[in-house]
Amino acid sequence: MKVFVVDNGGQWTHREWRVLRYLDVETKIVLNTTPLEELEVDGLVLSGGAPRVGLDAGMMGNNAEYLEKGEFPILGICAGHQFMAIHFGGEAGPSGIPEFGRTEIVVDEEDELFEGLPKAFQGWESHNDEVTVLPEDFIGLAHSNNCKCQAMKYLKRPIYGVQFHPEVEHTDYGNDIFKNFLNVCEENR
Amino acid sequence: MFDASNFIDEAIQKVREEIDGKAVVATSGGVDSAVAAIIVSRAIGDNLLSIYVDTGLMRKGEKEQVTSMLEDLDVNYEIVDAKDEFFEALEGVLDPEEKRMIIGGKFIEIFEREAKKIGAEYLVQGTIAPDWIESGGDLRDTIKSHHNVGALPEGMELKLVEPLRDLYKDEVRKVGRELGVTVSERQPFPGPALAIRILGEVTPEAAETARDACAIVEEEIEKSAEKGDMELPWQYFAGLLPIRSVGVRGDIRAYGYTIFIRAVQSVDGMTASYSRIPHEVLDKISIRITNELPQVNRVVYDITNKPPGTIEWE
Repeated sequence: MKVFVVDNGGQWTHREWRVLRYLDVETKIVLNTTPLEELEVDGLVLSGGAPRVGLDAGMMGNNAEYLEKGEFPILGICAGHQFMAIHFGGEAGPSGIPEFGRTEIVVDEEDELFEGLPKAFQGWESHNDEVTVLPEDFIGLAHSNNCKCQAMKYLKRPIYGVQFHPEVEHTDYGNDIFKNFLNVCEENR
Repeated sequence: MFDASNFIDEAIQKVREEIDGKAVVATSGGVDSAVAAIIVSRAIGDNLLSIYVDTGLMRKGEKEQVTSMLEDLDVNYEIVDAKDEFFEALEGVLDPEEKRMIIGGKFIEIFEREAKKIGAEYLVQGTIAPDWIESGGDLRDTIKSHHNVGALPEGMELKLVEPLRDLYKDEVRKVGRELGVTVSERQPFPGPALAIRILGEVTPEAAETARDACAIVEEEIEKSAEKGDMELPWQYFAGLLPIRSVGVRGDIRAYGYTIFIRAVQSVDGMTASYSRIPHEVLDKISIRITNELPQVNRVVYDITNKPPGTIEWE
């Protein structure tokens, strides 16, 4: 199976690559300007990044095209998640209280992404912005004390967004979330 | 999973294709540069020269430790005394990024000088993933310019060889164990060394204070971990703050500096939580520092995670 990581300039883009590599899938970090036709993949991870999607959406390269036309499951993380919300007609903007480091993630909806996970677990955060309004046909999957949308899912296609960072060591069950996403990719092949 | 033995074979093969002639390797005494040195020495043998630069900013006993490590590794090596050069270059510099740039530039100046003497065209570095990630570039923000990546001077002539670029510390340690490197379990110590543990101007006196404080923190924590009173943190050290505060020593007013203690748990250095050091251990450290270092009359403990803090303060 082939799942690539789209680099939006995150501190943890390379960690996403590492987690995927440890899960034995073929993976590679690609520029976010890579044309969609060049991505022959079974799934895609849109990394977080320095661009504040509300302010510098122009730095998000071809993310919109991947979301629009990609025929594979997509997992957006942090900036990738926020961009996803805006792209499908929702809103993202500055957080009332930004989160850094340890946060309790509370799962609201049973879903394949969080399958086998407890109802609440420790997630590691690093964000100044967040999703404020869910797009149509999206449902929220999890929240934290200071952030209403910690995870969301598109009902029409296998597309997910998470605000916290399942790719870092300090997030509990991060590997399981990636495994669950890979299961979705597998089913979709 | 990560396969260390596989990685070693592939890395040696790649280095053979990459290096044509002689090379120097920047050695710091840490696991990254030691592992890089062994991989390259297996690839090109005696065409490799290890260089350790004594910047005057190293930990207590570092030079002796590095010398014995280099002897163990059985590689060609050379120790360059550059203490005066470094302190002179850092005079009056307060900004952390400027410090890092000066140090990165100075290292390259020395490596180019030494490489020229033996006709080497390549510089091997133990650069690992967090070094280039945090140095930034293009879309990625610069968190700090690591001396071996973001602080490399323009117009540098040596060609870089970095066999460990895609690894994190835990993976380098696995490779180190596979290679039988004795320093595999040593705690991380950044290239700019004590310069980024001295907030404010880096002087020989400040370096002495930071070095002594670091040694006390290391000794006490290692002792307690050995006794089973605490888990050995991933990284643990002291830093010197340019903040003075009022105290009293022997019925006399004191106005001294502040030492901070930092200890964190991590796997790869990309996220970290502060270590829960028992108060008894903190107490011992505090008493020793304030008694043994007359210029210090206050000790504080840093309880910040990464993010939002970084492990080092600069």
